[in-house]
Amino acid sequence: MSDESTNVRWDRQTTRDAFARYSAKREDSLRDELVVAHLNLVRYLAVKFANRGEPLDDLIQVGTVGLIKAIDRFELDRGVEFTTYATPTIVGEIKRYFRDKGWAVKVPRRLQELNLAVNRAVEKLSIEIGHAPTVAELAAKLDATEEEILEAQELGQAYNLLSLDTELGGDGDGKSQTLADIVGADDPELAMLEDRTVIARAFGVLSGRERVILHLRFFESVSQTEIAKRLNVSQMHVSRLQQKALEKLRAFLAE
Amino acid sequence: MAETVDLRIPRKAEWVAVARLTVAGIASRLHFTIEDIEDVKLAVAEACTNAIQAPDGGAFIEIRCDVDGDRLRVAVVNSVDGAAPPRAEVLDEELSVDGLGVFLIRSLMDDVEYEDVPDRGKQLVMVKRLAS
Repeated sequence: MSDESTNVRWDRQTTRDAFARYSAKREDSLRDELVVAHLNLVRYLAVKFANRGEPLDDLIQVGTVGLIKAIDRFELDRGVEFTTYATPTIVGEIKRYFRDKGWAVKVPRRLQELNLAVNRAVEKLSIEIGHAPTVAELAAKLDATEEEILEAQELGQAYNLLSLDTELGGDGDGKSQTLADIVGADDPELAMLEDRTVIARAFGVLSGRERVILHLRFFESVSQTEIAKRLNVSQMHVSRLQQKALEKLRAFLAE
Repeated sequence: MAETVDLRIPRKAEWVAVARLTVAGIASRLHFTIEDIEDVKLAVAEACTNAIQAPDGGAFIEIRCDVDGDRLRVAVVNSVDGAAPPRAEVLDEELSVDGLGVFLIRSLMDDVEYEDVPDRGKQLVMVKRLAS
């Protein structure tokens, strides 16, 4: 049993009452209370994604954005408990964050790199310790988990880039095609994809809070005032953070 | 035409990683995206954790993976006759952290349900399809 279990028990009636009052009055102080009361839920969910290579604090931060969305949209009379309602919203926000960070591009790359590093480390360690290393020894050497080592060995190869001359499976008529035969012309969508990847990488230079602000501001068109309310800071502060974040992005893209 | 992989692990936390890796390997064969593979791994780990935490489960957890076209179905069940289902009760109840695993699984997989297994109680069945 995880040690969080004692914390993550809310009194249902208290929660319902708080939502009833919040939906009637929409007071910020009530919303803050509801946010605080459910931060454990965000934390519980964020921890589940913590092994995917992003800082837990960032995950908690974007998860909290999801929580706030869920609080604002929740309707008591739908007859579901708030946690049921909020979990997919929070998870969705966390997963979107990984997508924004270009995670799906980074992970195969990391597995490939780890795959190469494992091969090198096997040679090196074999000499150092006089026998072929165990997975645990490799993990310690490469600062990875044992599961990552095993996965890199299995899956890392699957992501190796194919050569253009790789023969694709023929269908028995003797004329097997190569990859080069079926690759078409430049695809404008592909260039856009690259732009997206660049932007996703550029977002990596931002702090969690800066990302949240830019995301809300430009992807969801939320006003600075509203963002300030959600993050519980002044509008001026949001404006400054936004300015700083955009400067960072410009600097990154100019490189 | 479904193909099946059966895995039986000791009902202990340290074996869950083996289930995660096995399922990752199967999902990878189906050409799932890396994100979907991670989601399936997390869902299976949650299901195993639920099974481990069930008060009167048996010595093993059984994990059956059925691959059918572009669809992966994973069923998780405790190994003991008449064992308590892996937290089936949380489908309608909730709020304690024990129950949250199922909601997490629901937000990761396409379909999640409990199925009756004759003489065995219920098993957690989850389905993920290859994203089109």
